[in-house]
Amino acid sequence: MEKSNNSSEVNLIFKYAFKDLSRNYKKIISIIITLFISLFILSAIFTIEDSLKKELNDNAKALLGGDLEIDYNRNEGNLKLVTKVKEFATISQMIEFSTMVATINRDKNKSLFTRIKTVDEKYPLYGTVEYEPEGAFDRMQNEPNTVLINESLSKTLNLKINEQIKVQDKLFTVIGIVKSVPDVSGFVAFGDWALAGKQTLEILKLNGIGSFLNYEYKVKFNENDDEQEIEERIENIFKDDQKVKLRYPENSASGLKRIINNFSQFLSLVSISAMLIAGIGVANTLLSFINQNNMSIAVRKAVGFYSGDIKILYYLQLLILLFVVTTLAYGSSFLIVPFVDQYLSDGLGLNVLPVFSIINFIKIFLIGLLVLIIFSIPTINSIDQVKASNLFRNVFQNLEFYYSKKSVILSFLLLSILVLVFSYNSENPIYSIGYFAAFFVCLGVFFLLSKLIIFFLKKFRSTPNISLKVSIKNITQTKSITPITIMSLGLGVTLLLTLALVGTNFKREIAKSIPNIAPDYFFVGIQKGEKEKFETNIFEMDPNAKVEIVPMVSSGIVKINGINPNTYISSDNDSYWVIGSDRRSSWVNEVPEDNPITEGKWWDLTKSNELQISLDAKVAQDLKINLGDIFTLNIYGREIDGKIVNFRSVDYRDLSINFAMLFNPQFANNIPHEYLATTKFKNIENFDEISMLEVLPSLSMIKIADYLNKVTSVLNKVFMAVTLISAVTIIIGLIVISSAIMVQGKVKEYQNLVFKIIGFTKRDVILSSIIEFLIIFNSVILIATFFAVIASKFIMENLFELVWKFDFKVLLTLGFSIGLVTLLLIMLTNLKYLNPKVYPLIRNQ
Amino acid sequence: MSILLKLKKVNLKYQTGKDTIKVLNNIDLITKKKETISIVGESGSGKTSLIMLIGGLEQATSGKIFFQDHEITKLNEDEVSAIRKKNIGIIFQSFYLIPNYTAVENVALTLELNKFKNPEKEAKLLLDRFGLKHRFNNLPSQLSGGEQQRVAIARSIAMKPELILADEPTGNLDTENSLMISDILFNYVKEEGSSLIMVTHDPKLANKAKRKIKIKDGKIK
Ligand SMILES: Nc1ncnc2c1ncn2[C@@H]1O[C@H](COP(=O)(O)OP(=O)(O)O)[C@@H](O)[C@H]1O
Ligand SMILES: [Mg+2]
Repeated sequence: MEKSNNSSEVNLIFKYAFKDLSRNYKKIISIIITLFISLFILSAIFTIEDSLKKELNDNAKALLGGDLEIDYNRNEGNLKLVTKVKEFATISQMIEFSTMVATINRDKNKSLFTRIKTVDEKYPLYGTVEYEPEGAFDRMQNEPNTVLINESLSKTLNLKINEQIKVQDKLFTVIGIVKSVPDVSGFVAFGDWALAGKQTLEILKLNGIGSFLNYEYKVKFNENDDEQEIEERIENIFKDDQKVKLRYPENSASGLKRIINNFSQFLSLVSISAMLIAGIGVANTLLSFINQNNMSIAVRKAVGFYSGDIKILYYLQLLILLFVVTTLAYGSSFLIVPFVDQYLSDGLGLNVLPVFSIINFIKIFLIGLLVLIIFSIPTINSIDQVKASNLFRNVFQNLEFYYSKKSVILSFLLLSILVLVFSYNSENPIYSIGYFAAFFVCLGVFFLLSKLIIFFLKKFRSTPNISLKVSIKNITQTKSITPITIMSLGLGVTLLLTLALVGTNFKREIAKSIPNIAPDYFFVGIQKGEKEKFETNIFEMDPNAKVEIVPMVSSGIVKINGINPNTYISSDNDSYWVIGSDRRSSWVNEVPEDNPITEGKWWDLTKSNELQISLDAKVAQDLKINLGDIFTLNIYGREIDGKIVNFRSVDYRDLSINFAMLFNPQFANNIPHEYLATTKFKNIENFDEISMLEVLPSLSMIKIADYLNKVTSVLNKVFMAVTLISAVTIIIGLIVISSAIMVQGKVKEYQNLVFKIIGFTKRDVILSSIIEFLIIFNSVILIATFFAVIASKFIMENLFELVWKFDFKVLLTLGFSIGLVTLLLIMLTNLKYLNPKVYPLIRNQ
Repeated sequence: MSILLKLKKVNLKYQTGKDTIKVLNNIDLITKKKETISIVGESGSGKTSLIMLIGGLEQATSGKIFFQDHEITKLNEDEVSAIRKKNIGIIFQSFYLIPNYTAVENVALTLELNKFKNPEKEAKLLLDRFGLKHRFNNLPSQLSGGEQQRVAIARSIAMKPELILADEPTGNLDTENSLMISDILFNYVKEEGSSLIMVTHDPKLANKAKRKIKIKDGKIK
C-alpha cells in the first residue's frame, strides 16, 4: 500500500513537471539557449576527439605502415638482422630524405627543399595510396627518374604532370600526383613531399647529415601467425642492436594523439567556462521564474503539496530540460564531424566518421547536471520562503537566493567533484586545476568588484545630473543586475583578452626573429671538399653576405656515465630529444656570442687528445647531468668517451646556429665531418638558388622566411579557431546579461512609466542607460585587462618560455568592440521598455 | 455530534521590529462536524488570522489546536500539509487560480494530489455542476470574477473535505455573483455533510450560517 502510494506520488510529480515545463519554456528560453550552446561545444569536442581517435586506432597499422616498424634512423642498419626477419614476415623498405627540387624550362626557375620518400613494390603493406593518373604508381616503381608529387608541392612549384624537374643535378619526370598515403605518422603530413621508387637512391648523391636520411623497415606478419609471438621473436633478433628502434601500431600517430588531447583539454576548459557563466544566468533566470510562480507555489502549498515536493518538481523540470537539451546538443555535434573530416582528409588522408558513444552522452549530461544543480540550489531553496498564508494577505514577497549552510556545503562539494573529475580525466591535470583555480579567483574578484562599485556609488548619490542619478540608482538598487553583468561579462572578456595577448605575443615572437637576428638561409650538406666552393659562390653573388659556417657531425649518446640513458630517462622528459636519436654536433674555438657559459670552463687546451663536451644548460638540468660526467658517443660507428666540461645557455629561437653539444676543436677536427652554414644576405635578390645548385647539386637550402611563413600561417589558423571558440564565453555572457535585463523587464517598464509621468525625456532615459553601462564596462575592462596581463604573461613566459610584451592596440580594439556589441545589445533589450503603455500598467498595480 | 475542531487558549502575536502586535488573544473555540459558522468583525480584528491558524497555514504563538484527533500545533509543515490535502479546502477572496492552468486543470490538481482515478473527469463533473460547462478549457484570465471564484470553490471542495475555510469569498464580487456563490457553497455543504467556516462582511451571508462568531480586537465576543 505504502509502496504504490509512493510510486503514484512520483508519477504525479513527473506529470506536473512535464506540464509546467511545456507551458513555461518560453520564460526560460535563455536557460535553454545558453545550456544548448555550451553543451553543444562540449559535445562537439568530445565527439570530434573520439571520432578522430577511433579513426587513428582503426588505422593504426596503416598509419604505422605495418604490424611493426624497424627504424634505423640515419643508417641503413644491420641488414643481416633485417634479413632474419624476412624469413618469417614480409618487409617493405622505405627510405626518406630531403633534397632540393627545382623547376627547369622557366623564365625564372624555382627550387624547394623537399622531403622524398622512396618505397619498394611491397609498399604499402596496409592501406592504399591515392594518386592519379591510373598506373602512375607502377610506372614510378619501374621507370627510373620518375616521381609522384603531392598536391602541395605541385602548387608551390606550379608543376604539371609530365613536366620535368631537377632533383640535385638529375632530371626527373613528374608522372603523377599523390593525394594521400596511408602511413602519415612518420612522415610530414602537411607540406611538400614526393614519392619515388627505390632505385632513386642510387641515382642521387645523399649524405648522412644534410639529407636527413631515415631508413625504415616495415614488417607485416603472415596471416595466421600469433602477433605476440612474432613480436617477441623480432625483439629478440634486435635485442643487442643499440641503434634500432622498434615501433608498434599503438605508438603510431602518437604525436597527433598528443596534439588532439592537448587541444581537446583546452577547448573543454573553455566550454566548461562557458557553462559556468551560463550557470550564473541559469540561477538568475530561475529565480525570476520562481518569483513569477510565487503565487502558484503558494496555492500548491495551500492545497497540500509539500515544500519538498515542489522543489523536486523544479529540479525535475531542470532534469527533463537538461536531458532534452543534452540530446539535442549531442545529436547536433555529429553535424560538425563532416567539416573536420573535410579539413583533415586533405592533408592526412583520414576519413573521420562520427562515433556515437553513450559514455560521452552520459559524461556531457552529468557535467551539465552538476553545473545546473550547483547554480540552482540557492534558487530552488528559496521556495521554502514562499508561504501559503501570503494568499490571504494578497502580498508576495520577492524571493532571494537562499544560502543555507547545508546548501553552501553541497554546492561546494559538487563544484569540487566537477573540477576534480574533469581535471583528472584531462591530458594535463595540473594545468586544468590551475585553470579552474584562476577561473574561480576571477569570478570571486568580479563579484567583489560589483559589490565595491555598488558600495561606492551608494555614497555618491548627491549629483545634480539627473541621468547620472538614475543610472547610479539603477546600479545600486537591491535587485540590480550589476553583479551578474560584471561576473558574466568579466569572465568572458578576461578569457578573450588573455588569448588575444598570448596570440599576438606568440606571433610577434615568431615574426620578430625574421628580419633581425635570424639568417635568411640555412645550408645543409656541404661536404668537406665543398666548403671553399660554397663560400666563393655566396660571395660572388653578394659580397656583403654574412656567412657563418661550422663543421658538423652526427652522434648518438649511447651511455651516460656508463649507463644507457634510454633505460632511465622517460620520453616525457623535456630534453628526451637529446638522447632519443642521433644529434648533430659542432665545434668552435671561441665561446659563441649568444651562448654564454653558465657553469664550468671553456676548452682545456692541455688535453687536446681527449673529447671535451659543452652541453646546453637546460638539457643538463633536465637530464640531471653534472660537470665531469662522461658521455659515451657513437660517432660513425666508433664509441668515444667525452667529459662534460661546461654548460651553455642556448637560445634555439634566434634560429642561428645552435647545438646542444659542442666539442673541443683540437679533438674533433680529426672526425670526418660536413659543414652547416647560415647566411644573411645584404641583397637577397642577388642570391640565385638555381645557380647555387648547379655548382653544389647535393646542397640543401632552407629559406627561413618560407619556413616561418608556413609556421605563422598554421599558427594564425589555430589562433583564429581558438579565439572563435572562446568567443562563445562572451556570447553566453551577453545572453545572460540580456536575459537578466528582460527578467527585470516589468520593473524597468514601471520605472520608465514613472519617469514618463514625472516628465523625463526619452533622451534622459537612454543617457542614463549609457552611463550605467559605461560605469560597469569600464571597471570590467580594467580588471579583465589586469587578469589577462597576468595570465598571458604567465603562459608566455612559463609555459612557452617566450618573451611577453604588453600590446595596447590589441586590448584597445578588442575591448572597444566587445564594449560596442554589449552596449548595442543592452540598448536593444532595453528598447522594449522605453515606451511603456500607461493604462494596463496602472490597472495592474 | 462529534467534535471537528478544538482551539484551546490560542494566541497569535506578530513581531514587527520592536513592537509585538497581539493579533489573537486566548481564543477558545469548539466546532462540530457538519456545522456552518460565519465569522464577522471589523477589518483588522483578526478574522483572517484565525482562518489561517485553523488551516495550518500559520503557527500559533501559543495554545493548542486540534483537528479531529490531530493536534496540529504539534505537527511539522509537511504533516500539516498532509492533513490539509485531504480534509481542508480553502477559498480566498482573490480566487488564486494558477494562471497558466485551465479551469479543469486547476480543479484536477487537488484531485490528483488526493489520488483520484479520473481527476479530469471528476473536475469536469464538478465544474458542470457549477454551471461552467463551456469554460472547461479557459485560462483564469479568460474568466469573469464570479466564474473564477466558482472554479476556486470547485478546486477547494473537489476532494470532499471535512472542512471548508472561506475568507470573504464574495468580497470581490457583485451582488448577483455573491448570491450564486453563497448558494453553491451552502448547498454543497448540506449535500456532502461538510462543515464550513466563512469570514464575511455581508450580513445576509453571515445569517445563512447556523452559528455566528464575532471577533473584536482578537477576541471572540
Ligand atoms: N505579518 C504580519 N505582521 C504584523 N502584523 C500583521 C501581520 N499580518 C497581519 N497583521 C495584523 O494582524 C491584524 C489582523 O489581521 P487580519 O487577521 O488579516 O484581520 P482581518 O482579516 O480581520 O481583517 C491586523 O491588525 C494586521 O495589521
Ligand atoms: Mg481579512
